[in-house]
Amino acid sequence: MTSKRSRRKFLQAGTSLIALPLLESLGFQRSCSANNAVKPPKRVVFLGIGYGVTQETWFPNVIDQGENYMLPAGLAPLARHKSDFTIVQGLTNKYTEEAHWGSTFWLTGANRFEAGAAFHNSISVDQVAAGVLGKETRFASLQLNGSDHDIAANGHGPGLSLAWDVRGKPVAGLNKPLAAYHRMFSTDTTPIEQRQEMLRQKRSVLDAVLGDAKDIQRHISKNDNAKLDEYFQGIRDIETTLTKEEQWQNIPKSTARFVAPSSSLSGIDEVKLMYDLIVAAFQTDCTRVLTYRQPISTLLASLGIRVAPHDMSHYAPGERMEASQKRDLVQSQLLASLIDQLKETREADGSSLFDNTCVVFGSNIRNVHYLDNCPTILTGGGAGVKLGQHMVVAKDTPLCNAWLTLLHGLGVNVPRHGDSTGVIKELLA
Amino acid sequence: MSIRPDVIQCRLVICVTLFLVCQPACSAETDSPASLNEHHKSLLQDYCLKCHNTEKPEGKFRVDTLPFEISDNESAERWQKVLNALNSGSMPPQDEAQPANTAKTDFLDDLTNVMTAVRRNLRDQHGVITMRRLNRREYGNSLRELLGVQIDVSELPADTGNGGFDTSGSNLFMSSDQFEQYHALGLEAIAESFERVTHASSNNKQRFEAEDIVDRVKSNLSNRIELRRKYNIWTKAIDAAADRPENQAIAAEIRKGLTNQPPWNFYHSWQKLKNVPSPTEFGFADGEHATHEGISAWNLLPYQAYFLSQPEVKNGAFLTIRDNGVNPLHYFGIGGWPSGECIVRIRIAATKQATPARRFVEFGVQSTHLSTHEVSGTMDVPQVIEIPFNLTKSRGGSFFIREKGTFDSNEQGHRVFAEGEKQNGIGPEFALWVDWTEVERKTIPEQLIPPGIRALGIPLGDDAAAMTKDDVRAALDRFITETCRGNPASSTFLDKLVNIYDERGKSGSGHGSALKETLAVVLASPRFLYLVEQAGDQESRELNGLELATRLSFFLWGAPPDKPLRDLATSDELLKPHVLLEQTDRLIDDPRSTGFVIPFTDQWLGMDRLDFFRFNNVRYPAFDESTKMAARNEVYETVGYLLGHNESLRHLLKSDFVVINSLLANYYGIEGVKGDAYQKVAVPNGLPRGGLLGMAAILAMGSNGEQTSPVERGAWVLRKLMNDPPPPAPANVPQISRLQNKLLTTRERLRAHQEEAQCASCHRKIDPVGLALENFNAVGQWRTEDTYEAVGLGKKTWTIDPAGSFHHGPSFTSFFELREVIASKSDSFARGFSIAILEYALGRPRSFRDEPLIEQMVNQTRQKDFAMREFIKVLVGSNEFRSK
Repeated sequence: MTSKRSRRKFLQAGTSLIALPLLESLGFQRSCSANNAVKPPKRVVFLGIGYGVTQETWFPNVIDQGENYMLPAGLAPLARHKSDFTIVQGLTNKYTEEAHWGSTFWLTGANRFEAGAAFHNSISVDQVAAGVLGKETRFASLQLNGSDHDIAANGHGPGLSLAWDVRGKPVAGLNKPLAAYHRMFSTDTTPIEQRQEMLRQKRSVLDAVLGDAKDIQRHISKNDNAKLDEYFQGIRDIETTLTKEEQWQNIPKSTARFVAPSSSLSGIDEVKLMYDLIVAAFQTDCTRVLTYRQPISTLLASLGIRVAPHDMSHYAPGERMEASQKRDLVQSQLLASLIDQLKETREADGSSLFDNTCVVFGSNIRNVHYLDNCPTILTGGGAGVKLGQHMVVAKDTPLCNAWLTLLHGLGVNVPRHGDSTGVIKELLA
Repeated sequence: MSIRPDVIQCRLVICVTLFLVCQPACSAETDSPASLNEHHKSLLQDYCLKCHNTEKPEGKFRVDTLPFEISDNESAERWQKVLNALNSGSMPPQDEAQPANTAKTDFLDDLTNVMTAVRRNLRDQHGVITMRRLNRREYGNSLRELLGVQIDVSELPADTGNGGFDTSGSNLFMSSDQFEQYHALGLEAIAESFERVTHASSNNKQRFEAEDIVDRVKSNLSNRIELRRKYNIWTKAIDAAADRPENQAIAAEIRKGLTNQPPWNFYHSWQKLKNVPSPTEFGFADGEHATHEGISAWNLLPYQAYFLSQPEVKNGAFLTIRDNGVNPLHYFGIGGWPSGECIVRIRIAATKQATPARRFVEFGVQSTHLSTHEVSGTMDVPQVIEIPFNLTKSRGGSFFIREKGTFDSNEQGHRVFAEGEKQNGIGPEFALWVDWTEVERKTIPEQLIPPGIRALGIPLGDDAAAMTKDDVRAALDRFITETCRGNPASSTFLDKLVNIYDERGKSGSGHGSALKETLAVVLASPRFLYLVEQAGDQESRELNGLELATRLSFFLWGAPPDKPLRDLATSDELLKPHVLLEQTDRLIDDPRSTGFVIPFTDQWLGMDRLDFFRFNNVRYPAFDESTKMAARNEVYETVGYLLGHNESLRHLLKSDFVVINSLLANYYGIEGVKGDAYQKVAVPNGLPRGGLLGMAAILAMGSNGEQTSPVERGAWVLRKLMNDPPPPAPANVPQISRLQNKLLTTRERLRAHQEEAQCASCHRKIDPVGLALENFNAVGQWRTEDTYEAVGLGKKTWTIDPAGSFHHGPSFTSFFELREVIASKSDSFARGFSIAILEYALGRPRSFRDEPLIEQMVNQTRQKDFAMREFIKVLVGSNEFRSK
């Protein structure tokens, strides 16, 4: 049991006000009643599916807009939540030209060739959100990945997760549910003094390599220095993490509702478990920003589908289209049960996790080689999006306009994101 | 079942290999100037300018001001819009006049190629090589060379798939996570190395007699008989209960729900019946478990009984198939040994029943299949196979051996068993017999102590006496100079490291542990992780000896320079051209040159595609995992052979010999090849092998594991062999679905590509080449007929017609004629190869400035019939390679 003293110390360490539900999740007794409880924090999660959906059976008819649209077959498992999600058509990342990169620019909207670069990217929307929403949690954001071996073959494109940092460099992700579980919930039983000693030791390691980097820096060209800067940034990032770890070291990690997952899960079971972990992460407030780059080849394999991911995406009537449709259905089922879980999970003020979370599901790829009309499902009350809608925005509206709208809804008031030209007013409730 | 596309997707397959497409190495052909031919003006004039002109241009887009010479980003973006609009078919609008198909096709063809050139021009690094960190494989190789360890580095980012070689500095990122991984892996490597060295004289040996499993099989057999007896009692009781009046309706209801299911599934619903015994009373967990024991496992009983009845199991055992009760994977394991080099020995024989295809044994550790070996021993004279194995903490010592192609998957095991059972009612005939297996760990002689540890020169154990700071400091200094490729540490870095060692000691670590922790920091430092080349006064300068040695060894070994090379570097001898060339030869002759041959060949030819899908082992049972592995190695081994023997690059286009082992010889139907080693073998008359286009791996890459993909194959030939790559797959090209639900030949189906200009501009070049390779099936076996079958449509079989012609080029009537045409264009192939090797070696995309060097590489090597080493020597001797 954590003492009052350490709680105060912790509060002093943080720079901003700590919301109550957070404290509750840390094992403190709730000290105020529900009616004057602080509003629960806002969270956001992006679920990227790489290769797109089945055009014919996933999108509602474009002339059938508004609330009373007919749910297409591919979304049928979501019927029970129909009034709680919005599907948007017409969004596009205008610079994207790579027909097999469903994730690389999905959340960034960057121009790959900007300034004549062979490869250029910019910050992803989740990282922009993490800059604000991540201040009060143990992890500013967490990146989850499917455990597929070959990401390139699954329509995700280059990247280490869905996230790209402020310099447009890839952010690493956790590739297995077990790794994610340990990051979020494994309790360090080492005594505090020893942990402080370990932190100190880590710092001396960082200090040493940083010294070496500075020595090298003096002797190399400007161009090479730009490269070495990645190393410096990496070390600085660890220092930031250590500082945060220090602030949090008196506070035990929250306990998950379930035991550590098996390390051999893959395919549909892996997605289910990752969804459980996403809910648990939000519930325990260990982070408020998550991305999940989903598996495809292992998902198909677990469904007994022999078709390779690329062939599934480039479907034609017959076995391949059936594979694509089957995947759509399973994805919709999984999403529907994620929504169930979010709705069932209560916050301290009596609202549900669903009310305070924004869930984004989609990809930069529509289907086959089409990069326009990126499939987009928005659900949850976190970003104040108008739910229950089938909305068709003006053709080629920047996908980043949707991201900007979500950011504002989450309380992250940046003027623009990627190639955004403004918020999408129709999306606002 | 339909497993063929019913709809043609334009450029479908080009884009499958986008990773290949956008490798700068390959998107490089013709140096089309980044300007569009003026004759296209009339097309724009006739079909665009009416709306997109000076006054109020539609969509605020003016076509009249588009520059035909494209030299900046802004113009490139504008032309990209034109290309996108044409590709997606959105312009000209449907109700406006449309350009003629051929004119549009030619325009798209030109514009696409120009845009590819523009993109390349705009990102030209002007020959600047970005300092880079070690990529994943170089990092692993460095640990191996310096510390003598084999560490699993697969958790690190792969460094491939970014659209370039994994040596391309600008693509090699670093992040905080990676730093922590390097730190952890470094610690693991040091610990492993310390363990090896401190146990250098430990010689362990253990033998496992194969007949030891016989008792297990016996008890398993009696166990199964007992379970079967109980199963029969239980099911009879349920049958009797189901016939009673109170259950009749329920039983009928259950049976109704079981249509198309095996009859025994009835018992799974025992709980619905009244007054029946539970399976738990008979020792089964539930109904499903009872079925497994009483039915599924029971089927194996004759096979086990047959096994036990053989006289040969008195002093050995057969490798059986699928049955876990016997030994589909013959396991043997060691535990508690220190890490180190081991030899695994297997005394084995092939039985009289073993057909040539069944005379191979697979070896692996844990569940990973590592290698496959030919079994030439007979029951009279068994042989001993020796397999070197590097025992490490992380992979441990649980080994298995099994017959080739019998357990790539559970599914395959069932199929192979069922085939045997069908023939004799028992199971597959036994093909392989094992006498014993044995593992021995070798001692490490003094001269094989790895250089990193040797450089330390101090005791490694926790029990060592306390050392002075100066001694530790000196040891660290030597260690850093050795591991960081002769680049000594600054004194502040040394101070900090000594401090870390000291602190660890104070917080209770012994000498050895503190030393490990400290050395791990070195292996995560930028001095180790980055290939540092110091800046000079000018923009470009000649490399010094050590820098040149490092560049050379990472090029030809993917590993740091060894002592002889470093010595020549420090004495500046290496800077002499003839010494540099001698060393180039020495490095190529060294076995470590596989550190160049494999990663280069793999990335150059885009072989990652071989892992993109599972091959259907019902359709292609001969192409099992062992065969796939051997086929992949054939490509590497052939390139390695040509390089090793300085033979002509042209052998990759067409050759009268192949480089194969006995397994592949069996697959190709070539007789008289023995052993696991790859060897030069003459191609028998009329066999379509010899050269890349006859290799199973290359042909299998041009499939999706089920059927061939002529588009994929055609694009690959243009890209890799003819250095005329089709541009990357454009997005948003409309799909042609007119031919769906029709029973057509592959050729008829592909004809649809010619209908739309967006498709035809590339496919008129790609498709004929791919169709000429249709005589090879999805796994590279020769065929003369193909079949298409679809539910509701029926089946169509046709004789394959490979005839066709190159776009604006010669025609051919067979695969052999196609190969002749391609082989006659060795200059183009040599150029593509030169560009690839230049980019790989220099770690950057080629630049305009490289043009003279590329020319020189082609011209100079042509004098020597494109001998493989000449390419490398011209490159290594060039200013580009020798300067920063």
